Amino acid sequence: MSQFKIHGRGVYKGNSEGEAVVCPDSIAGNSGALGDVDGVIYEKGNVNYGVCIKDKILVVPCAKGSNGFSAHFRGAQIAGITPAGWISTRMDARLGVAVASMKIPAVADFSESENPLDLIKTGDWVKINGESGEVIVTPKELL
Amino acid sequence: MLKLTHYEQDMLNGKMGKFKQKAMMFIVDYAKVLGATELCEVSRATLFVGAQHYLDCYDKDSDYKDIFSEFYLSSDEKVTLGKVSSECKTQTCAACCDITEYKRTHLSKEFHDRNREYLENTKEMGVKIVESCTPYYVGWVPMMGEHFVTTESSNVVISNTIFGACGNSDGVEVAVCASITGRIPKWGMHIPENRLATCVFELDFDVSTQMEWDLLGFTLGRLLPKHEVPVIVNGVKNVEINRMRQLCASISVTSAAEICHIVGYTPEAKTLEMALGGKEPKYKIKVTKNDMKDSLNMISDNGCGPVDYVSIGCPHISLDEIFEISEYIKGKHLPKGVELQIWTDYATKQMAILNGYAKNIEDTGAALLTGSCPIVMREESHKHAKAMVMFGSKQAFGIRHQTDVPVYYGEVERCIDAAFSGKWEEM
Repeated sequence: MSQFKIHGRGVYKGNSEGEAVVCPDSIAGNSGALGDVDGVIYEKGNVNYGVCIKDKILVVPCAKGSNGFSAHFRGAQIAGITPAGWISTRMDARLGVAVASMKIPAVADFSESENPLDLIKTGDWVKINGESGEVIVTPKELL
Repeated sequence: MLKLTHYEQDMLNGKMGKFKQKAMMFIVDYAKVLGATELCEVSRATLFVGAQHYLDCYDKDSDYKDIFSEFYLSSDEKVTLGKVSSECKTQTCAACCDITEYKRTHLSKEFHDRNREYLENTKEMGVKIVESCTPYYVGWVPMMGEHFVTTESSNVVISNTIFGACGNSDGVEVAVCASITGRIPKWGMHIPENRLATCVFELDFDVSTQMEWDLLGFTLGRLLPKHEVPVIVNGVKNVEINRMRQLCASISVTSAAEICHIVGYTPEAKTLEMALGGKEPKYKIKVTKNDMKDSLNMISDNGCGPVDYVSIGCPHISLDEIFEISEYIKGKHLPKGVELQIWTDYATKQMAILNGYAKNIEDTGAALLTGSCPIVMREESHKHAKAMVMFGSKQAFGIRHQTDVPVYYGEVERCIDAAFSGKWEEM
């Protein structure tokens, strides 16, 4: 187990780093699934139920649920709860609005051989470059 | 590389004023995030605005113009609000409370008044107050190939699937900016080849009732591989728009699907070959009764028990369904302490009043309400409930993020029976 790099498309510029929170089934955009003011995941059944998104690198396959997805993340950001960045297997419309609205570093559109959901585990330390699309992963076992 | 027309570039440069400039800046940022290479003209929009709870990050006495600039235009600078594009027919989507009946839904006058104040502000911009998540019942119907934006996920699937119109599940901020600029990135569902089915669903059962259709959407969303486009090849009975509405709402709960072809029934799927564009599907998935059963177990609590909070109308129901409910419950009386809410849009309620359906419903003690729903009204409206019954699955599943009490779900008549008996009975 050693540090490794993967590459996607740089989606929103900026460098950031943080602890990965991997959501294999994404985070629902429905009202109440993400705390509008505290940024805590309240989606029942989400593997990260109860986790606050603040300063985390959110790793998702895509967005899902209500078209209010972006608004709940943006509201939490204005309330002071901002993730460090986004990593998504593929970009989609719901997530695209969240990224554009929150203006935080994001990398998406990975090749099939570098699916971040297969390679990154919750608790890993992840650095992302939102311009070049480079993602550097330090597995939690090395931290 | 994003290419803009002269008109779009002029708007971006501020020639049409700061309001449109800021909105176009956001559209351009969004287009770059998506990787779009051009914009397209958008001519219909619905907007999830008002005092929605995603604005809880602001103080209650904040100036709406400040909120609008920061939240919707993504601008650090306060901008004087202008008009939405004259080319884009724009109206409000689902609301955070009924337009008048705040007391019956346990909300404060202060909240109701703030919502009205925000709506009056957007009305001045040219956004019509409609308050509906099923706008196609009252005239918001995009044509085949027409580009739209909507903040209602089920309306994205309906409009792409049934009307053959083109729209993505973007989000609130972009929908607002698209209605102001009349532009949206030409990406995703706006491009014909992205609409082709890639995942074939074959059912080993039939769906006929409204709940079965609703459950099917939830199930397909669960089984749909990420980023794929579904097509159903068999098994659908009693095909009509109200059942399609349930399917389109529930598939949006469990997936990011924006279209769901049905061979023989939807315009881009007259045949399977047409739906697939002559290509081989990436996935062929058989859906079983057990898959449906698993979905039901995810949506509804098992067993039976007393209930005191029943809500029908997710998404907002049609006049035909209000008529059926009115006939079904006419002359009955709700037990003390039990609420039955039936949700539609404001215009449809007026027709229900005209036809006497509203009186039949209200005389039982039930409430015919408009524009909102328990999920969007949030916890304040339902925190007193000891056990809930919800239809459809978008509501029954989604309300679980907001409550720990039992939530039951079943056919509409069964839900209504539960209200009048005060009890959820086992089948």
